[in-house]
Amino acid sequence: MKKSDLSEFEVEEENFKLKIKRDTGKEAPPQIISSAPPPAAAPSVPAAQPVSTAAESGEAEADNATYITSPMVGTYYSSPSPESDAYVKSGDTVSNDTIVCIIEAMKIMNEIQAEQSGAIAETLVENGQPVEYGQKLFRLA
Amino acid sequence: MQKVLIANRGEIALRIVRACRELGIKTLAVYSEADLESLHVQLADEAICIGGPQSADSYLRADRIISAAEIADVDAIHPGYGFLAENADFAEQCASCNIKFIGPSAESIRMMGDKAIAKETVKKVGVPVCGGSDGTVETEEEAVQIATKVGYPVMIKAVAGGGGKGLRIAHNDISLRKEFILARSEAEKAFGNGEVLIEKYIENPRHIEFQVLADRHGNVVHLGERDCSIQRRHQKLIEEAPSPFVNDDLRKRMGEAAVAATKAADYEGAGTIEFLVDPKGNFYFLEMNTRIQVEHPVTEEVTGIDLIKQQIQIARGEPLAFKQEEVQYNYHAIECRINAEDPARNFAPSPGCIDLYYAPGGHGVRVDSHAYGGYIIPPYYDSMIGKLITYGRSREVAIERMYRALSEYLIRGIHTTIPLQKAIISDARFQAGEATTAFMEEFMKNPPKMD
Repeated sequence: MKKSDLSEFEVEEENFKLKIKRDTGKEAPPQIISSAPPPAAAPSVPAAQPVSTAAESGEAEADNATYITSPMVGTYYSSPSPESDAYVKSGDTVSNDTIVCIIEAMKIMNEIQAEQSGAIAETLVENGQPVEYGQKLFRLA
Repeated sequence: MQKVLIANRGEIALRIVRACRELGIKTLAVYSEADLESLHVQLADEAICIGGPQSADSYLRADRIISAAEIADVDAIHPGYGFLAENADFAEQCASCNIKFIGPSAESIRMMGDKAIAKETVKKVGVPVCGGSDGTVETEEEAVQIATKVGYPVMIKAVAGGGGKGLRIAHNDISLRKEFILARSEAEKAFGNGEVLIEKYIENPRHIEFQVLADRHGNVVHLGERDCSIQRRHQKLIEEAPSPFVNDDLRKRMGEAAVAATKAADYEGAGTIEFLVDPKGNFYFLEMNTRIQVEHPVTEEVTGIDLIKQQIQIARGEPLAFKQEEVQYNYHAIECRINAEDPARNFAPSPGCIDLYYAPGGHGVRVDSHAYGGYIIPPYYDSMIGKLITYGRSREVAIERMYRALSEYLIRGIHTTIPLQKAIISDARFQAGEATTAFMEEFMKNPPKMD
């Protein structure tokens, strides 16, 4: 770059921006500024679609709330069987060993305990929805 | 095969995403909470979080991975390297859940995963093996008898070890008795299997490995060798293909041995047969790696064959599209592993934020890395942040190009092994093609000033 008259040089591609500026006043080496925006913003590349959307809606809130999150990967069921009532609903109080839902993983129905105490403010997932590790299942009041 | 779950992270996960993209296959990335911002997670078609930052709570959780495979309805799982890639139980679980494990069968993994069994298996088909015990050694007395027969020095090896772990050297009867007991208890603790075997220790060998491909129709080919003699504590730093030590005749003989070993393992997929080669050109089977390897790109650049695509195509049941005679070695390629470590401080890990990142490019340069400007390297996993590969018509061109590319590579905010790699590439003995596995220890005694 020193040999050319270029004092500024910019390249922009879909994921990547590179701007080189030569400070013509001094003999300093070129300033290379590479700002790679998080690749999820790239237009031609489909952004990652996590199976859960609950994670995104959770972040939208001012997060002082406590949540019951999924300890495993699987399918969420709100009740012990299709005919029964849901384990919990809004307003119910739970304690550590209250069973709040079932998550089915590899054909095994796992009863999920609250592992904390509080009152259910909102159920964040739907019956039969696939959930990932850490996904928010219930918001506690 | 419509959708593949990538049971890995970092640069290899990105590599697999790319191959799947080119084959029109959808990708599902499973990731730990520490890898939410990882490049391959962002680029994959779907992503499912499978656990906390610790590998034991995420990438090693076979149950969660298979669960994710089921809820996302994948057809196959690519295990990459490390983690569950050579876990026979995992391969078996995939099979019983009707998910294709992109790799060999659980039986092949078990067979070649046990060093004693692997050695016996390949010996039967005429592959040269190191002199030593016939299988495992149970007592000190037996150990001493074997060592007396093959001659000192000898190596005590854990059968369940690998990647340089579980190895001890003894130079005489007294040290053998001591090391034998220590090796067994170490192996029990580290691998849950205290069995060891004894081998003649070859001094200053070259580590030369052969890439093999085996389809489901009985076709097995080798794609030439990689010389991986530049190792520090059994961790490879630089790999190259072809080996400066191997001539056409040796390549032919070693290649045939590699193919024979692969057939004996009843293998499917991509694999690597590792050999030790002594200064006289005698070669001995070391082990078989039943997975794709970190250094696969050098073989890709030399032969022009996309190994990850080959793995997927083989898994789909396709026969190999080429015969042994059609494999060509068109270039010389070198790879430097770029680790987030500080070579000036005994390779202390250097996780943290890469605030400035500019990768080299140009003719004959390939970068396989998941790093980007602003990426925060998590501290929970291995320190490799990328691989820099250069290739050219001759070894000299590949070396010059590597020096140029390493000099161009800008990674600010963390320490990397780039200065060390530049120094090794510039070393006269390396350039003369004289490096054996003893090179790094010698080199580090008087390391040159690293810029």
